[in-house]
Amino acid sequence: MNEEKTPPAVSPLLLARSHITTEGNKTGSWRFLRPRYEEKTPPCSVACPAGEDIGLIEELTNQGMFKEAWETILRENPFPGVCGSVCYHPCEAACNRGEFDEAIAISAIERFLADAARRNDVRPSLSRSAPRREKVAIVGGGPAGLSAAYFLTMLGYGCDVFDGMSEPGGVLRWGIPEFRLPLAILQRDIALIEAQGVRIQGGVQVSEALMRDMDGDYDAVFIACGYTRSRSLGIPGEDLDGIEDGRRFLHHIRLGNRPRLEGLQVIIGGGNTAIDVARTVRRLGGTPLIAYRRRLQDMPAFADEIAMARDEGIALKELVAPLAITPHGDGYILTLGQMHMTGEDDRGRAIVAPDEGAAEELAAAQVFTAIGEEAAQSWCIPPRGDGVVRLNAVVCDFRSGRACRVFGGDLTTDTKSVVDAVASGKEAAIALDILFREGLDAVEPGIRECLVGDGRFCSMEIYRGGTRCHRSSHVVPYDEINADYFQLSRRISQPRLLMEERVATFDAVDLKISASMAIREAERCFNCGLCNQCDNCYLFCPDLSIVRDTTPPGRHIDYDYCKGCGLCVAECPRNAMVLEEETDETGTGGEPGRR
Amino acid sequence: MKQVLEGSQAVAEAVRLARVDVISAYPITPQTHIVEYLSDFVADGTLRASFLKVESEHSALASLVGAASCGVRTFTSSSSQGLALMHEILHWSAGARLPIVMAEVNRALGPGWNIWADQLDSLAQRDTGWIQLYCEHGQEVLDTVLMAYRLAERVSLPVMVIMDAFFLSHTYEPVDVPDQERVDRFLPPFEPRFRLDRDDPVAFSPLVSPQYYMEIRHNAARAMDESVEQLAYIEEVFSEIFDRTYGPVEPFLCEDAEIILVTSGTVTGTARHVVRELRARGERVGLLKIKLFRPFPRDVIRRALGGTEKVAVIDRNCSFGIGGIFAQEVRAALCGLEGCPRVYGYIAGLGGRDVTTGLLEDIYDHTKNSEVPPEVSIWMGLQEVDHALKCP
Repeated sequence: MNEEKTPPAVSPLLLARSHITTEGNKTGSWRFLRPRYEEKTPPCSVACPAGEDIGLIEELTNQGMFKEAWETILRENPFPGVCGSVCYHPCEAACNRGEFDEAIAISAIERFLADAARRNDVRPSLSRSAPRREKVAIVGGGPAGLSAAYFLTMLGYGCDVFDGMSEPGGVLRWGIPEFRLPLAILQRDIALIEAQGVRIQGGVQVSEALMRDMDGDYDAVFIACGYTRSRSLGIPGEDLDGIEDGRRFLHHIRLGNRPRLEGLQVIIGGGNTAIDVARTVRRLGGTPLIAYRRRLQDMPAFADEIAMARDEGIALKELVAPLAITPHGDGYILTLGQMHMTGEDDRGRAIVAPDEGAAEELAAAQVFTAIGEEAAQSWCIPPRGDGVVRLNAVVCDFRSGRACRVFGGDLTTDTKSVVDAVASGKEAAIALDILFREGLDAVEPGIRECLVGDGRFCSMEIYRGGTRCHRSSHVVPYDEINADYFQLSRRISQPRLLMEERVATFDAVDLKISASMAIREAERCFNCGLCNQCDNCYLFCPDLSIVRDTTPPGRHIDYDYCKGCGLCVAECPRNAMVLEEETDETGTGGEPGRR
Repeated sequence: MKQVLEGSQAVAEAVRLARVDVISAYPITPQTHIVEYLSDFVADGTLRASFLKVESEHSALASLVGAASCGVRTFTSSSSQGLALMHEILHWSAGARLPIVMAEVNRALGPGWNIWADQLDSLAQRDTGWIQLYCEHGQEVLDTVLMAYRLAERVSLPVMVIMDAFFLSHTYEPVDVPDQERVDRFLPPFEPRFRLDRDDPVAFSPLVSPQYYMEIRHNAARAMDESVEQLAYIEEVFSEIFDRTYGPVEPFLCEDAEIILVTSGTVTGTARHVVRELRARGERVGLLKIKLFRPFPRDVIRRALGGTEKVAVIDRNCSFGIGGIFAQEVRAALCGLEGCPRVYGYIAGLGGRDVTTGLLEDIYDHTKNSEVPPEVSIWMGLQEVDHALKCP
């Protein structure tokens, strides 16, 4: 071979090069549109009465940061375990993903986070405001009272909770059956509330006299006694021995009693108590039949609960009203009158009237009444009149001459549920803090400032000036999501006990989901309006003007070079950015404009 | 070792043997097999290279502009509309003096939509500053890819290795695949004349004012001209190692020929057979295969064709308004030559139609029997068209 031979020469290479840095060319001066990071409000958090920062919770869960995700719940809601089990999750109905494929299983993820924290005995690190001199008494140890105490403690106040029962929890402890809310989950949530410094005194029968004493000892009293007396049917035979009040029956079972039932058990009513009684009866061996005066779709019980009851094979009679109960052997004859629809009310519920003469008789082993409840004592009922301010979920009686009284819980909320009770307790805490710090006139405007998005519910994080304050209150609708960046994926299916096991035990029906399922489900979340560091802006920016840093939302724009092409905004999958016209105020080029 | 390979596979084997660092390509029929074989090589570790998956041919070549600027060996491949989409970056990569090698599979441009052999796609890019080498068979493809890297890196210009769709890309032939050691001896690692360097930050190819633009273009034009000589040297080295040689043009029985057929690509094989047959009948006919089209090897073409009477150029392409492109270039090369032969242009085999021995004999006969070449190219083998094709 002859590689030795000299190759022909090549000409010198001329190549245009520049040693001047392109940083000298401040392309930001070309800009007439200015992109900006602006986190917005996801619709789930607006729908959540507790105002939970759901978009962030899902993001943290997706990253496997379970403790931080759980603490994010705790900043808005002291009952993650309870709400993970029994909340009617209005968040999921508002979820934008529902318009794409299926809503995120937010409730299952919340239960997972609470359960993971419980199993690993994780203690939350929550910040608390400087101690305040004022003290607040809480009457009623249910979810509203405990929430008020929890948030007031967070805001630096000393609180005493007075409850009439041997154990706190109210309806959570005594009203909701074990198969929906296992005792251990409730006890864990309450233990964490106590660990925050809330003092709970059980077995205290609060009277009007005691209330007067509290006026001297406390600066305010929060009253959330709930409904403790059942409404009566007003029909003959209602007072017969053995006709059971549904609420009392559930309490009896929650004390640990497990009577054996046989034969047809008729439950009169259509609310959550009626459903709980029917499902309990099924587990005790009876054959439940729910008799309701309107139609199935008019029942005030939560839809999921009705669906569960029907899954368990519980029969329902619509458009019947009880007329009389008479003894019959070991049981009763229940006379049911037929009803018919005469129209619909403004919420679309049936207006019904009795059919004259049309009645049937049922031989029942047992009859339960569950047609609604009311306050037991007159002083529990929120007053009206001058000096009384009705906020969203509480009624404040600021009349002078005694401690300020705030009424909350089921007696003041539109929806009777745990999470609405939490909202009530939180609103009370914020209202009192504003009252103590800034006076009466500041309460209503102050509450308005800490609402989530355009909704009715407060956020403690917003009130306390947390990072949520940086977000705009604009609620991101589905059409602002860049759906091209998401792929269709199925929502996790909630694992449940087998039907045979369900109806034979009081074990929780909904089973836990695994960490990998929780992460996978949380990954489906659009994180509407929130920057989850997906880096699309960074990848698409033709000017290398996206700079990562540690200030929210973890990045900023270098306006020296940003030409304002708007690619970052167009390619943001979740509308966490805005593009605005450049004004003299924002100026061209230069660093300012970063917010 | 001899293997039976598809033309596409011969390209892929050559790219593997050239130890290419970055491959970026977008699939298009009939080029797809090339990148499929290469992606297999990269996936199974046979070739240690980055394989960039891009969303278009424009990005495929643009990403190689970046990669080649970093001083690494790069490869891409395309065809037809894909190559047309690369047009802007073809100019850029040549002007930026980047030694990118591309395998270009000649396919017709639509409409009518057609995936078969036709040279117009690559010939339409003749002014982009890329060196163009047209291949006849699988072995030539493999060898030419290896030589292309050496040539590109020597003169700092990109090279297109061109092959007919299906007739070459999808046809299996025996191909000698050399061992790595011999290839390494022929093709040492790339030593770039310039590269992006973080310790000496430079922007390549910025704005150039009228003051220097011509000088820079002249420099590239000179490098293109020098490529003829450089390729000759590289072929010499290649033949010493591999004992095979091709040349910028390949004459066959031209010495005493009165008529010389001029071809490129796979038509050459058929033409060689026809020339043999005609010679057996006593016809004084020769054949010249043109392999190097850019730079156009004027001198060797003048030498090869200067002594003959008539030249019949067969073009599997047509530039509307002027005719066959090879014919046009050959005419220009011969122009002014004393005793300049008469050049006949023939257009045949567009869109993958077979160029048969009969058709080539017709071309020969036509050339022999016509005293003066027509001013336009003659379209061979046109048929009566189906009535359905006619617009009312």
